Amino acid sequence: MGSLKQMAYSQNNHIRLLFLASLAKGLAMIGQAVFFVWVADSVFLKSASFEEVLPLLAALLAVIVLRAGASYAVGRLGVTLSIEARRSLRRELIASYKENPLQGSIAGQSGRKVGLLLEAVDDTDGYFNKYIPQMIQSYTIPLMLLGVIFYLNWTTGLIILITAPFIPLFMAIVGKRTKQKADEKVEQLAGFSGAFLDVLQGLTTLRLFGQAKRQGDTIRENSLKFRDSTMDVLKSAFLSSLTLEYISMLSIGIIALEIGLRLVVFDSITFFPAFLVMLLVPDFFNLLKEFGSAFHTARGSAASAELLSEELAKSHQPVVWGESPVDAPIELALEQVGFQYGEGFQLEATSFKLHGGSSIALVGASGSGKSTLMNVMAGLLPATSGRILINGLPREQVSEDEWFGQLSYITQDPYLFTGTIKENIELGANRVVAQQELIVAAQKAGILELIESLPEGFETVIGEAGRGLSGGEKQRLVLARAFLKKPALLFFDEPTAGLDLHTEQVLQKAIEELSKEATVITIAHRLHTIRSASRIIVLDAGRVEAIGTHEELMDSFSSYRSMIEAQQGGKQAWVN
Amino acid sequence: MGELKTVFWLTLKEKRDVALAVVFGFLAGLAGVALLGASGYLISKAALTAQMTTLVVMAASLKLFGFAAAITRYAERLFSHRATFTMLGHLRSSFFERLAPLAPGIFQRHQSGDLLSRIVGDVESLQNFLLRVLYPPIVVGMALVATVFFTSFYSLPMALVVLAGAIFVVVILPAFFALRRRKKTHVTGETRGEFAAASAEFLYGFKDLKIHLALDQKSSELQETAHRYEQAQQNEGLEENRVQSVNALVAFLASFFVLATGAYFVSIGELSGLYLAMLVMVSLGAFENVGPLAALPAYYEESRIAARRLEEVVEGKPDDSTGAMPEGPVDIRVDQLSYRYPNDSRLSLDEVSFQLPQGSKTAIVGPSGSGKSTLLQLMLKVALPEGGEIRFGDEVLNSMRPENVWARMNVVLQENHFFSGTIESNLRIANEQADAEQLHEALELVHLGHMELSAPVYEKGRNLSGGEKQRLAMARAFLKGERLWLLDEPFSSVDGITAQSIYSELFTRHPQDTFVIISHDLAGLESMDRILVLENGRLIEQGDYQQLMDRRGYFYELKKIEEQVFV
Repeated sequence: MGSLKQMAYSQNNHIRLLFLASLAKGLAMIGQAVFFVWVADSVFLKSASFEEVLPLLAALLAVIVLRAGASYAVGRLGVTLSIEARRSLRRELIASYKENPLQGSIAGQSGRKVGLLLEAVDDTDGYFNKYIPQMIQSYTIPLMLLGVIFYLNWTTGLIILITAPFIPLFMAIVGKRTKQKADEKVEQLAGFSGAFLDVLQGLTTLRLFGQAKRQGDTIRENSLKFRDSTMDVLKSAFLSSLTLEYISMLSIGIIALEIGLRLVVFDSITFFPAFLVMLLVPDFFNLLKEFGSAFHTARGSAASAELLSEELAKSHQPVVWGESPVDAPIELALEQVGFQYGEGFQLEATSFKLHGGSSIALVGASGSGKSTLMNVMAGLLPATSGRILINGLPREQVSEDEWFGQLSYITQDPYLFTGTIKENIELGANRVVAQQELIVAAQKAGILELIESLPEGFETVIGEAGRGLSGGEKQRLVLARAFLKKPALLFFDEPTAGLDLHTEQVLQKAIEELSKEATVITIAHRLHTIRSASRIIVLDAGRVEAIGTHEELMDSFSSYRSMIEAQQGGKQAWVN
Repeated sequence: MGELKTVFWLTLKEKRDVALAVVFGFLAGLAGVALLGASGYLISKAALTAQMTTLVVMAASLKLFGFAAAITRYAERLFSHRATFTMLGHLRSSFFERLAPLAPGIFQRHQSGDLLSRIVGDVESLQNFLLRVLYPPIVVGMALVATVFFTSFYSLPMALVVLAGAIFVVVILPAFFALRRRKKTHVTGETRGEFAAASAEFLYGFKDLKIHLALDQKSSELQETAHRYEQAQQNEGLEENRVQSVNALVAFLASFFVLATGAYFVSIGELSGLYLAMLVMVSLGAFENVGPLAALPAYYEESRIAARRLEEVVEGKPDDSTGAMPEGPVDIRVDQLSYRYPNDSRLSLDEVSFQLPQGSKTAIVGPSGSGKSTLLQLMLKVALPEGGEIRFGDEVLNSMRPENVWARMNVVLQENHFFSGTIESNLRIANEQADAEQLHEALELVHLGHMELSAPVYEKGRNLSGGEKQRLAMARAFLKGERLWLLDEPFSSVDGITAQSIYSELFTRHPQDTFVIISHDLAGLESMDRILVLENGRLIEQGDYQQLMDRRGYFYELKKIEEQVFV
């Protein structure tokens, strides 16, 4: 919550204006009470005529408008403060995501990150929009009221000073008890509220087994149990506000008694200040109670704030780039390059050289580090040790744009963006593309026929919001991207299975065609690919076990040989 | 209001709690008003006299009303929340009863995966309907009417002023703002959707964006959608603040006019000045409670949309065919079967025809997207074909009641649900009468004999591995004990040797049963009676393993690619 506070107070202007608006609101509250009592006093005790009180009524109207205006301003400032804060949080988050080199390679985190960007940021609204304005009001208005009360009748002020601290004190004690109760029940509650979703998700299974009917009753039963547990927690929360109510009621009662004594018995106070005090005191206690509930809202934001600051505190080690251009053909050399992700996966240092126009196949079981090595080579991950030379220059001196402008990366699970087919293919080129070029690329990727069969052709919208494409179609679209780009460096993660034969053939041919001009690095799953690679790198548990041609490895590296032999035995498909 | 009819009636089912909540809410309002009124009256009275009794009455009545207000407020909260949660229970089960007959077909139509969590969220958000929409205007309105009534004993004009203010605050303003809100409420939702989509795209497509040098452009586009979303949020927040401020202003103005009118009538001598402070305090107290009404338009709109979305989900007509599946083992005949997914121009199944005699063991193979699972869904009557038909024996599937069909099949789908409970409770779904021995036998069959029946299963079976889930699903199918098996990639996460041994055990135990198995790989198909090969929704080859290999056609090519794969 500390960081949220800093964020709020960094918006100096808003905070200052909030103080001003609160001041105005406090003045208006006092003014409203004063003029109200004044009017009552004039017509009731001083027998003034209506004309005489008209100016007072006008003044009262004015302070009412001022009060509404000040409240409006406080609310408005809260909204804008919150929006500004959330906006800058989002900006920071997006920037941090963008800089994070792991983003593209560590899978399974994206869903959580979308959640942070949407829900977690919005959850901080309670803090900025409710808590901060309320807190500033609590700093100012009660003090003003107390000042006026002291001025009018110092004994009342004294009573308030003694009784008021009980409110935050009890709020803390009772609040803690409520929280304890809620914590006790939290698991139970989560279980009940998840039960409905559980049944909905299992509806297909239930129906297939003819069990859906009975579940209606179970749902009702669970809901009632959920109700009873929730009510248990709520009861103690309601009880706590009841306690607070009693404390403030008690204080007001004591003050009323004191005022009454002075008014009736001692005659040491007149109607005007007595009535005024009686109007101001409840306002004072109300503000204290409101602050309590705002504090509660702020606690709700705290958990999200923690998640956000955790994410923002993560330090990223970016890939360092320079200015030098990159010309084809590309020669890549790794010198004692290693990579380590936190305490987790480690790729041990390795050295090898990749000549322009040659091809390398990466082979190994899943989890052996093939993808990590490929990502390090592609410049998507930094090397945590050693250095990478591109055409003889250290990567730190090479221009990032030039480098990525030269490479294509074809994964097993290609991502298509919401947009037209044309836009998706053009992503590869990053320039204006003539229609003819587009057609040629699509044709080479074997997808032209499909595109032309669509009523909207290249303008068909695909992606999340558009037409669905099968896995094979996606692959071919991504290949069209690559054909348009004409990369000097090609990274390719071979699909394991599940493509239709046609796509399989297109892929094979396309890769061969693209490889003619390019240096190729493949995560290989096909025997054919492995055999035809200029060199093979065998990985095991993050270590490069052997490098060589197919023949060399067959001769000298027994575990490679047994792997290949098992494969050719044809029974390999059992081992997944 | 039409959309909220169902919710309204479900709420009223809890008559006692709702009535008690309204009564206590009303009493709480009255006690608050009485408290202020009494203090106004007594302080005026005290200013005039010097009687000790006044003082005693004053202190006592303040205490009395104060405590009454606090206690009734507590009771009101208790009963209104109870009623709300009970209503949610009714809503869940009545919604479920309407949804169940539509499943699983409905999950086909709604392709978005978040349908279920949306349902849960929408039901949840309807808890605000009673608490913040239906009930505040009633309670506040009643307290205001009582105030009007009370005031009218002293001064009719002042009562009329209170009445006018009440109508304004309880009826006119909420209605006006609710209408105004309806016109623009969708903006926030829309921009939020856009922002969510853009964030997902940015994060999931990160690698491609980086490689194609499109990261800067996309991230600034993302900032822009975020900006639009925040703009919409800001407008909504400002609107809420506006409603609140106008509400508060009108309430204050009402009390102001009460004071002005009162002052006038006191000054011309038609009202005793003794009552002025009391009446004004009474009106202040009555209007003090209107705060919750400011939030009403927002909650009303939220409830309305949630209720409408829920209605839309269960709008469809359930399958009301009544036919039964013929008794005994049956041949399956599929004739010219075609199917197209909604909003798709291509056929997912294109005039597929084949026959499976009773007792045959058939595998359906083909690349992903070739229509294997679609075919199975049509055989389960989860979806209805666009053309052609499926016959079990002499009966057409179209005329059969889905329950009757499912009751006669052992089905394993790609995704099988496991409920929070135990291994036993999850197995018993298939067969309630099964004794422990049968359950153990089923577990042994799928090589899970080491599992305890009492072992816990978490929600969605998240403490089970993919392979365990698939094998448990198979155990369930086995326990059901019907003669026709439909299995959709039942062992995609189970190692080949185990899978093969389970299959051969099943085939030996049930030589008379008909098996239709969709298979993700081509291994172990030698033992099948026949293999159907699908590509792009067409049945392109069929025959047994040897025939297909000898033909050197599509299946042969697929097999060759598979042998090439080197994992």
